[in-house]
Amino acid sequence: MVEIKNLTKHYGRNVAVKNISFEIRDNEILGFLGPNGAGKSTTMNIIAGYLPSTEGTVTINGFDITEQASEAKKCIGYLPEIPPVYPDMRVEEYLKFVAGLKGVKRGEIPKQVEDSMERLHISDMRRRLIRNLSKGYKQRVGFAQALLGNPKLLILDEPTVGLDPAQVSEVRKLILDLKQDHSIIFSSHILAEVSAVCERVVIINKGEIKAIDTIAHLEESMTADTTLDLTADGETTKTVRILKDIRGVTNISEPEKISENRYHYRIELKDESVRNEIMSALVANQIGIVEMSMAKLSLEQVFLKVTANSGKKRSSLQDLLDETPESPENPYDAE
Amino acid sequence: MFALYKKELQSFFYSPFAYVLAALFMFIFSISFVTSISDMTSNTLKFSFPNIFYNNFFYFIFIIPILTMRSFADERRGGTEVLLLTSPLSVTKIVLAKFLSIVTVFLFMMATTLFFPLYASISGQVMWSSLICVYIGFFLWGLVCIAAGMLLSSLTGNAIIAAILGEIVMEGLLFLDTFAGSALVQSYPKLNSIVSWFSMQRRFVYFSQGMFRLEDLIFFLSAAAVVVCWNIFSIEKRRWSHR
Repeated sequence: MVEIKNLTKHYGRNVAVKNISFEIRDNEILGFLGPNGAGKSTTMNIIAGYLPSTEGTVTINGFDITEQASEAKKCIGYLPEIPPVYPDMRVEEYLKFVAGLKGVKRGEIPKQVEDSMERLHISDMRRRLIRNLSKGYKQRVGFAQALLGNPKLLILDEPTVGLDPAQVSEVRKLILDLKQDHSIIFSSHILAEVSAVCERVVIINKGEIKAIDTIAHLEESMTADTTLDLTADGETTKTVRILKDIRGVTNISEPEKISENRYHYRIELKDESVRNEIMSALVANQIGIVEMSMAKLSLEQVFLKVTANSGKKRSSLQDLLDETPESPENPYDAE
Repeated sequence: MFALYKKELQSFFYSPFAYVLAALFMFIFSISFVTSISDMTSNTLKFSFPNIFYNNFFYFIFIIPILTMRSFADERRGGTEVLLLTSPLSVTKIVLAKFLSIVTVFLFMMATTLFFPLYASISGQVMWSSLICVYIGFFLWGLVCIAAGMLLSSLTGNAIIAAILGEIVMEGLLFLDTFAGSALVQSYPKLNSIVSWFSMQRRFVYFSQGMFRLEDLIFFLSAAAVVVCWNIFSIEKRRWSHR
């Protein structure tokens, strides 16, 4: 459906997007994941034809976005970060205008506007001025606008920002419903959201693709054999020293205090075989083991690991997880 | 393209905007109309509509930036520019639709002034031929000013700045004639001929005297076309360079 090849975008001297390539398949929901300022919006703006790229091509349904702009743009419904609504217009009037703008035939306009209003549950608001709507409703009007003209590709830039939890789940349902006859690219910095609706994800940071993988793989990667969670009693200095002495332990996190004299450690190993050694070393030194388990990386941690790494693009998340992050502390707040 | 044109017109006519501007214009026009009539007894000035139009253009030219200030600046500030530029419409069509809608408002404002000659024709005689000529000249000069105002609006994301820039440029357009007539420029005949060729005021004088010259028609139309094209290029250029 959509092919993005070697996309690069410069803003003056700043490089916003570096050599990005991926594709969006037919009837697929592709998650586009990255921290704020990673280049998500820039990429989406380029795909939608709002900004031209410095280098690289975007082909939508066989049409090049810059060469055959009009045909390509007919296949696109775009909801930008800020819903592109006119505050002085009424909801229905606005949607009719957008339908006309997108070249929907005159006779079909009322029906399409009606359908999209119904889908977004804004039929009751049709006579309201957009300026008087809440943020959530404005977002929905923006979404309704993207559906007009039955575009094959929907580009949704953080569609759930500013919505309350009930509305968020409604929008998720809608996106899943739209999947039947649309390809969707959906950006977010919230992982739970992406994992709830997308089959595949593209993870981007600082303008570069860090990973392209399916959610299934991503979830598989959530348990990592080479990382242990340890909760133990006793002094931290002693425990850390014992652990450090064991060959094959590559990294020990800062101890985290759980209760008086009880600490949690995250230990990274070279391979699984070191596990027993750790166990026996701790017992031999009379450290009370409360719990020792294989670490379950949350999606957030996977994400942070991926985005904190400045290395090159990997084929799967598994490869990425085998690497240790360069900086143990991450600058991004996980939500 | 028609959808955008219609929406733009609605934004003028569904709000007090167009009416307030038209009222302001009529108010200014009626003042000069009344003073011209009252001056007739003193015999220092002849009453003529073309003369009133000529004088009024100096006021009207400052209303145009208010008319055009929002056209692109507001789209940019409100984030709706994305909607237009990602629609199947080309930039050329977007600019043309906006231009035509403002021209329509301009025609509406011009039409309100028909009240005065119509009223005058009830109790007197109006030279319609020269009046039509001045209307054409007024319209043509207006086209150029509208195009210029829109261009300035596309250069900034702030409508007020667009209006202020517009006023400065309009002032500059008017000043061009004074500049051409200054002793400094007159001492250089070549420079003088170039500057006066560009002076729109001089060309408008012919229209207001009831002279319809093809040269002036082509000048105004091509000037408007050049500025409209400039507008299209400036939007394209901003997209291609960084924001």
